Amino acid sequence: MASNKSEKSEKIEDLENSGNTAQGALEVRARAGALATESLSDRTSRFERDAMQYTNQLYAAALRYTKNPHDAQDLVQDTYAKAFTSFHQFEPGTNLKAWLYRILTTTFINTYRKDQRRPQISDGELEDWQIHAAASHTSNEGKSAEDEVLENLPDGDVKRALHEIPEEFRLAVFYADVEGYAYKEIAQILGIPAGTVMSRLHRGRKLLRELLMDYAKDRGFLKNSEGKK
Amino acid sequence: MTPNNFGPFDSGNCESVIQALFLFIDNEISDMSEAQALELHLQQCPPCRTEMEHESRVINQLKNLLASSCCEEAPEELNRRIAAQTALLAAQMSNPTQVITEYRRTETTINGETLIKIETTHEIRRDFPLS
Repeated sequence: MASNKSEKSEKIEDLENSGNTAQGALEVRARAGALATESLSDRTSRFERDAMQYTNQLYAAALRYTKNPHDAQDLVQDTYAKAFTSFHQFEPGTNLKAWLYRILTTTFINTYRKDQRRPQISDGELEDWQIHAAASHTSNEGKSAEDEVLENLPDGDVKRALHEIPEEFRLAVFYADVEGYAYKEIAQILGIPAGTVMSRLHRGRKLLRELLMDYAKDRGFLKNSEGKK
Repeated sequence: MTPNNFGPFDSGNCESVIQALFLFIDNEISDMSEAQALELHLQQCPPCRTEMEHESRVINQLKNLLASSCCEEAPEELNRRIAAQTALLAAQMSNPTQVITEYRRTETTINGETLIKIETTHEIRRDFPLS
């Protein structure tokens, strides 16, 4: 939510700086013309100024992909190398952070996942849950139990749960609920259809909630509910 | 869907309302009439409204919890590595074709007569991909 807001204010600033006056519009056109002939040193300073400010966000995202700090650092560094060498292809005025996230994703798929040979979850399997998803009103006891668990969650539980759910779901949840992106934007970042984003996000949140309830039960937090064992 | 029918979100059709709740909460129902039909159903159906309020509260709570735990800062070391890498790449790109040539110079002196032979022993061309 918070990041959603800052995204919006960035856009507004952009408009104020360039778009909404005649002079601003001229400046935008001049800038677009200048880009075609932009010198390497100008492009380098533009990259340092615009792209380097996102290393924290890129690192936090990379940790969701690799789940360990060492690989996450390498992944972010490789992402910045690719981003710099193809920075002339980035269209100014579009979302630079989302562009970097897209490069992060392809870099991860090409280099870090290659040797893991982990079985990918097929889309068929992903859709299966929809058929069995409970679509009725849940009990009020269940609702208040969940509210209580979430309100009293110890530090670290959410991160632990997030890292326990499969990567496909984890990334959809990260981009939607931490970064505040719309389904369409997440689809572009992950290179999957928006419908798939929808089902992965829905399923991911559901798994996350189930895990958080399980942790609470294991701790004996919920007295009246049926225990895990 | 006929004009006077709210389609999947008809009163009584709680099942499809509940299945679409997360889309409603995520503000991802692009069809205006569908969103309005869903809202109308929520106004008229207390159990679905309770469900919606709970879902929305839980998702918001999850968002807050996730946002405060997934905000690791990039180590200074990483920032330094990226800065150095950018400078190196920029230097390579400003000199797109790099030719490294190694020569061997052989001086042979026989009876006061010197013979100098220069030959290329090694040449590396590196073209940096610019586009």
